[in-house]
Amino acid sequence: MIEPDNEVFEAELRRLKPARLPAALRARLDQAGAEALGQPVPATEPTTGWQWWWLRLRWLAPAAAVGLAVMLGVTRIHREPSRAAHPPAPAAPALHANEVVIDRTLLTAFDALATLPDGEPVRLRCRHWIESVTLRDSARGIEVEQRVPRLEVVPISFETY
Amino acid sequence: MADGLDQAEWRRWVEAHGPKLLLFARQKARCEADAQDLVQEAVVECWQRSGTSPPPLPLVFATIQRRAIDRARQEDRRARRELAVAADQSQPWFEPDLENRELSQAIQAALAALPTEQREVITLRVWGELTFAEIAQVLGIPANTAASRYRYGLATLRKLTQQVLT
Repeated sequence: MIEPDNEVFEAELRRLKPARLPAALRARLDQAGAEALGQPVPATEPTTGWQWWWLRLRWLAPAAAVGLAVMLGVTRIHREPSRAAHPPAPAAPALHANEVVIDRTLLTAFDALATLPDGEPVRLRCRHWIESVTLRDSARGIEVEQRVPRLEVVPISFETY
Repeated sequence: MADGLDQAEWRRWVEAHGPKLLLFARQKARCEADAQDLVQEAVVECWQRSGTSPPPLPLVFATIQRRAIDRARQEDRRARRELAVAADQSQPWFEPDLENRELSQAIQAALAALPTEQREVITLRVWGELTFAEIAQVLGIPANTAASRYRYGLATLRKLTQQVLT
């Protein structure tokens, strides 16, 4: 049995609509749907703006990179002809990460107050996280760790009278 | 697999149910990226298993729940403790229309402050539009427990929201 006050509040909650899916996730789901249903993904080509130019000119970047690589290769061969005669150094064995630890540490959490240009106060809920990924190759005793800081700020408006 | 279903039907289904699935996944995941992965994996798995018709919604919610638990088991104990206390709020959970903008921000902040058990029941009931019997199946708990978690959660949510708004 739900109290009458809660019923009103419940109705108010229902008025809120869950946020639409982010465009990237929608695209991923379309792709996954096409694969799951065994159908080709229909192209959704933008017709205006920078995306239109990007679609038409995106071949330029890889083409330029390939051209540069070929030029550097040719220059190197001409400059160091003796190096080609040496046998290549043996490649280091690949890292076998048999333990992966993904972790997140909350460094600080604090609230800050700010005022918008129209005078409305806004509370900013701030959290500072360190996210880390650690790969361990216990056979070779190697540990590789990457740590990335992340600041999470959620603005919360106040109602003013 | 999935004979008779087409891409347009898939898109319509994703458009209609994707937002509520993502909202639920956000209550279960450590971060936004994990929540989106959970939705994608669960939707694809359920559609592949459902054969000739779209999957029932409680099944998709249950799959998100199962996959979230699997993920949490793969992580260390500390990470799981953090999962219980901190929901990722880097994205808005609700449509920020002008009329309800302040309310939606307050509800998101208050919802994130609730215990996970209450938060997930409220999300499934209010925005997932499931019955208590369906919620019980999704979460693997008795229907009475689901109802009492909802009642307590709703009362706390109301108090927290009022605190934020005043």
